[in-house]
Amino acid sequence: MTRRDFLATSAAAGLSVSLHAQEADAETKTLEAALPLIAAVQQHMFPEAGSLPSAKAMDAVTFLKETITHGSYDRDIRRFVIEGAQELDRRTKGKFLTMNHAKKEAALRSYEESRYGSNWLTRIMTLTMEAIFSDPIYGSNIGQKGWKSVGSSGGVPRPKERYIAL
Amino acid sequence: MKHFDAVIVGSGASGGAVAYTLCRAGYRVAVLEKGRLIRREEFSKDELAYCRRDIVTPCLFDEYHLIEEKVGEKWVATPTYESGWSFWNGNIVGGSSNLMSGMLHRMHPDDFRLKSKYGEIEGANVVDWPISYEELEPYYTMAEEVVGISGLAQKHPFAPWRSTPDFPQPPTKENEVVKLFDKSCRALGITPLVTPRAVLSKEKGHRNACYYSNFCGSYGCSSGAKGSSTEALLFPALATGKLTLMSHTYVKSLESTKEQVTSVVVIDTVTGKESRITADIFVLAAQAHESVRLLLNSKNRHHPNGLSNSSGELGKNLLFSAGGSGQGELHRESLKGIGFEALMERGLFVNRSILDWYYIDHWWDGRFKGGSVEFMFEHQNIISRACKNNEEGGKLIWGKALGERVAKRFKESKSIRFEIFNDWLPNDDCFVTVDEAYRDKYGMPVGKLRIAGHPHDLKVGNYLAKKCEAVLEEMGAKNIYSSVSSLPPQNLIAGGCRFGDDPKSSVLNKDCRSHDIPNLYVADASFMPTGGSVAYTWTIYANAFRVADHIVRDLSET
Repeated sequence: MTRRDFLATSAAAGLSVSLHAQEADAETKTLEAALPLIAAVQQHMFPEAGSLPSAKAMDAVTFLKETITHGSYDRDIRRFVIEGAQELDRRTKGKFLTMNHAKKEAALRSYEESRYGSNWLTRIMTLTMEAIFSDPIYGSNIGQKGWKSVGSSGGVPRPKERYIAL
Repeated sequence: MKHFDAVIVGSGASGGAVAYTLCRAGYRVAVLEKGRLIRREEFSKDELAYCRRDIVTPCLFDEYHLIEEKVGEKWVATPTYESGWSFWNGNIVGGSSNLMSGMLHRMHPDDFRLKSKYGEIEGANVVDWPISYEELEPYYTMAEEVVGISGLAQKHPFAPWRSTPDFPQPPTKENEVVKLFDKSCRALGITPLVTPRAVLSKEKGHRNACYYSNFCGSYGCSSGAKGSSTEALLFPALATGKLTLMSHTYVKSLESTKEQVTSVVVIDTVTGKESRITADIFVLAAQAHESVRLLLNSKNRHHPNGLSNSSGELGKNLLFSAGGSGQGELHRESLKGIGFEALMERGLFVNRSILDWYYIDHWWDGRFKGGSVEFMFEHQNIISRACKNNEEGGKLIWGKALGERVAKRFKESKSIRFEIFNDWLPNDDCFVTVDEAYRDKYGMPVGKLRIAGHPHDLKVGNYLAKKCEAVLEEMGAKNIYSSVSSLPPQNLIAGGCRFGDDPKSSVLNKDCRSHDIPNLYVADASFMPTGGSVAYTWTIYANAFRVADHIVRDLSET
């Protein structure tokens, strides 16, 4: 299945496709609105007191925002990240942020039952892994705590600027 | 209009080798490269940038390919901006040679005469090469010296003969795991060999020795140890004062009369300005599928089916490397014979290959051409390793369980991997065309690649995978798996401009000069009628040095 087929399938499942017609600034506003929910999902996946540093401590949501809005990032995936968050918000009737741990777990596992939800959760996990384990120059992996948690470290020389000069 | 003795389209392994030879012979050369120059000092080990984003390849929405695969009984073409399956390989000065792992082998003498040695295979367009290993051997040796290939000459029935006693540099340093590997191989009656590697173990001129960064393949080299076209060939060519290296230069097409190419039409990718460059000789070195595309996109009233296509063979018999890969985990608690701390030492290479199965002649398994196998550590990229195998029963693992799993994987084990290289048999369903309806951002039709492997390739790949899994088992590895499929590795592409003696059945003559247009050469891997059972890179370097000698002879006669 191609990526566009995949997105089409998701639209057939009742998701909004209106984003495709909106301007970039509208997309940015939509992303801003979705970020608290995305941050909560990241924190559920990467909690405090685990073997890895938490998503919150690593400010993984800022990394996610800066990554998906960068010119080098795939625009279809950017839309998918935003729309997937909106869908989770709709499914949880806007209450995900205030749910306790057990209810969040149940909501995410329920979302995971659909291929769309499973793919979205995988994407959020990947973006959070990228945050925690990429070079600290990208703003996360603060104090190399991500690398240290797995007894590893990045290669040398480390980057002096993000994505070099694109 | 600028005029040169020779214009070379592409700055990778083959373009660099031709430029090196021509400039040292005193000729004025222009190398045209679409991408930009990344200097040694600028390369870093930024996993996000080099391995997870398109910083060294074009954005697929701007430039892409159409990939045509068989779904059921139908051929279905999908643009790569839909699939994300990029067929670009390092569009920077020096090309993908900057990013290679550098595990190289010479092709075996029998690979030059596959048809006469092993016979025909139904459904495969196997032919002999018009040259022999003997003709290419001096250039393999030249590549060893100039590019800087370290290694150890060892006797083996399937090791090609060599004209020099040993490699110019000893092998790079090896992890202690080779003790376990070698012992396990011998227990199985297998001969382990040291892999030749285009990485310097000692300083060489302006290039420093390898510093064992732990992050080699997919990254540019920060010491100059890797034998990239940039370090080994283009910088020395620039030092002659004869090379004009034009980065950010997209080549749209070649202009020609019936008898000769007259100019290349280029676009400055920064300003968008179009211009022409003229030369006496034109050399394509843009990687197999892109050189074919350029020739097809250069059709004119003299050559209505594309340049150098009077045979109708242009684009046909596209090759990849068949095979697959696999790996297993060496765990702290079950490690045999070596210390866990030594296994975990960063940066040192495995440097081992097996050629025992290059040709199979077995009372039960039968007689057939096999292939070669490389062993290495799993790529040490941190993000990609952390993202692996994080699901159970089809469900993602997250929370504390995820953290424990990832930390254990990194701290308690190290994975060893194998890669299989066997012949991708040339066949009628693997070729390049262009599709006028699909164009890149410069307005030129994109390459359309129909891709199908021959069933025999899978049989061979699976046979070799089982052999490799047995080696990992003997080593005590856990969770061993392998994957052999008919999907091609997009970083190993050859064919499409077959060389041969007959102008009716080949695109190039044995010197890799167009049968139709005498001042047009193709120096990249597209000349290969069959691909052999090793990675192509050393052969690309060697053949481009050989082609360059012919071009020098041509230029000296004009």
